[in-house]
Amino acid sequence: MGYKIEEAAGFAIVHLEGDVDLSRSPTARQAILDCLQERQHVLVDLTAVTYIDSSGVASLVEGFQVSRRMSLDFALIGVSDAAMSVLQLARLDQVFPIFASLDARLAQADPKT
Amino acid sequence: MANHTTVESINPADLPIPPEGAFRIIRACNKESTDAHQLGRLLERDPVLTIEILRIANSAYFGFSGKITTVSRAIAVIGQRTLRHIVLCVAMRDALKPGQLPALSVETFWTNALRRAVCARALATHSGLDDDTGFTIGLLQDFGLLVLFYLNPNRIAEWPGLAELAPDDRYAMERQLFDSTHDQVGQQLAESWNLPQELSLAMGFHHRHPTHDIDDSKTQYCHLAQCADWMAAVFTSADKRHTLSNCQALLDKHFGIPRVETDQLLSQTNELLSEAAQAFGFDVGDQVSYDAVIQQANMRLLEENQNIQEMNWELENVLKERDRVAAELKQELDLAREVQRSLLPTDSTDQLSVFGLNLSAKAVSGDFYDFLRLHNGKVAFCIADVSGKGMHAALLMAKTSSLFHCLGKSLHDPAKLLTMINREIIETSIHGMFITIVAGVIDPETSDVVLSNAGHLPVIRMRHSQPVAEYPALSPPLGIMPETQFQNEKFNLKHDSLYLYTDGLLEAKITAQERQGKERLINIFGKYATKPPVERLQYIIANLRQHCEEMEDDMTLLLIEGTS
Repeated sequence: MGYKIEEAAGFAIVHLEGDVDLSRSPTARQAILDCLQERQHVLVDLTAVTYIDSSGVASLVEGFQVSRRMSLDFALIGVSDAAMSVLQLARLDQVFPIFASLDARLAQADPKT
Repeated sequence: MANHTTVESINPADLPIPPEGAFRIIRACNKESTDAHQLGRLLERDPVLTIEILRIANSAYFGFSGKITTVSRAIAVIGQRTLRHIVLCVAMRDALKPGQLPALSVETFWTNALRRAVCARALATHSGLDDDTGFTIGLLQDFGLLVLFYLNPNRIAEWPGLAELAPDDRYAMERQLFDSTHDQVGQQLAESWNLPQELSLAMGFHHRHPTHDIDDSKTQYCHLAQCADWMAAVFTSADKRHTLSNCQALLDKHFGIPRVETDQLLSQTNELLSEAAQAFGFDVGDQVSYDAVIQQANMRLLEENQNIQEMNWELENVLKERDRVAAELKQELDLAREVQRSLLPTDSTDQLSVFGLNLSAKAVSGDFYDFLRLHNGKVAFCIADVSGKGMHAALLMAKTSSLFHCLGKSLHDPAKLLTMINREIIETSIHGMFITIVAGVIDPETSDVVLSNAGHLPVIRMRHSQPVAEYPALSPPLGIMPETQFQNEKFNLKHDSLYLYTDGLLEAKITAQERQGKERLINIFGKYATKPPVERLQYIIANLRQHCEEMEDDMTLLLIEGTS
């Protein structure tokens, strides 16, 4: 089953959910890359993520790398505790722009600084 | 006239009718009240019909050769019932004259009909049903097809193609051509002519299954008509094998007739057909013999068997090819595994203070560790985990391990080494793959350690069985951003041990819901603290294996010992 994607305030918001592991990460990857291919700024909502493994993180990393090459915005929003602990442990919180919510992202003029 | 004919759309006035005299006699025959005397008087008014009936009644086929000279004698000898059927057959034969369907070979149609009739009669005799009723049903059951062509003359070119199809295919083709089928049209016609019910029902239900309200004796005649259709088709259809095998199956199903008896019935057909044709004034010409039918069916069977044989051969070859490719792939994997093992260091000794162990969950691993003695007497070490699994992870692991081993010899600052490796990796990184790594250097003499943790799990420092410090990642993994800054941590390890591990240890499932976790892992490290280093690694891994349900991920453990 695919993930829900909605458009708001000029962003495509990809809502990941549940366990984003080896079996689900290809779907997450495709959803994120599809949005970027359409030249959309992307926010990945991790509110409902209960577990994320290294393949799931790799999908986020790829999204992040592609967005940089295409000069598009890419950020994580509403990161759940489970996902945040994985990101912090690997110091990926230094890599991804992370916001509490869409509103928090909109309050920021330029997320890349 | 419409191109397509639904039963509802047929106007009774469009239907063919038999000659007036015959039609009057049919109507009279159908009345139970008509007695032999009345029938005789009616017949005598139509001398042409009388001659015809006497000829048929006297034919060898009906078995009264030369005995019947008058209509009243005919009625007395062959009975009113048989006479009625003969009259009906003649009337139907004459209802459509060749001139009414100029492009259609009416002779061929009636030859086929007559073949069904003799088959139905023989089968009726064999099964204890009324043979004259059987004959008439056989003769009339496909009459609807003539009517369909009569109503749709523009379709007549399709006739030769239809004639050589097996009954089931012919039925499907009719539906395509006419939007209607001969059984429905035939039944309607039979009802409009007030034919006896066993005739009209058999005309209506020799392809479709007889409905439940039809009583058993009439259902038997429906089955008789169906079987006769297939028996006749054995001689006329192009695919004799399919037709013959269906025919045998049907006779067995409806009348319990074994195959050998079906063969006997079919082998008599040609002779019976010529006799009947003579009686009805047809010339059926040369017919395919039953021996030829069997021969053609057998040839077809042989061809099919050959095709099956060929398919089996092909399948066998495909399976062989699959096995060959699988064996080749396994060989390649074994080789890849061997190459990977060769990348792991083998000269672990107390002098180096560094010990490692790796267990792969799959043929190839995304984990690795390495250590090497530097020219200044220090030892460089690392442990790393590539995101993802399988061959692509193994290849990235090989690349990273080679870079560490090669650059690590001359570059002794872990943070600078990781910066170099990161730049190399990032140039070719795909699919967001990244590597968490701890790289370090220890002086075995002084136990001074410098290490840099890039996105890897925290390094645990133990004093005997107690944890005393952790060194978590200070920077993100390799392969993500070219500008990543890596940081060193410096400390002295005297009296203590460092445990570096991959997430295969931390996330090993101990029950369906519960994973190992850091605390339990530290307890296991502590449990074997007094064992010598190489043995300690084996005990730890054995303990983990013993308690984890299934090994899902690679397990790699590196132990750095400070001087005591």
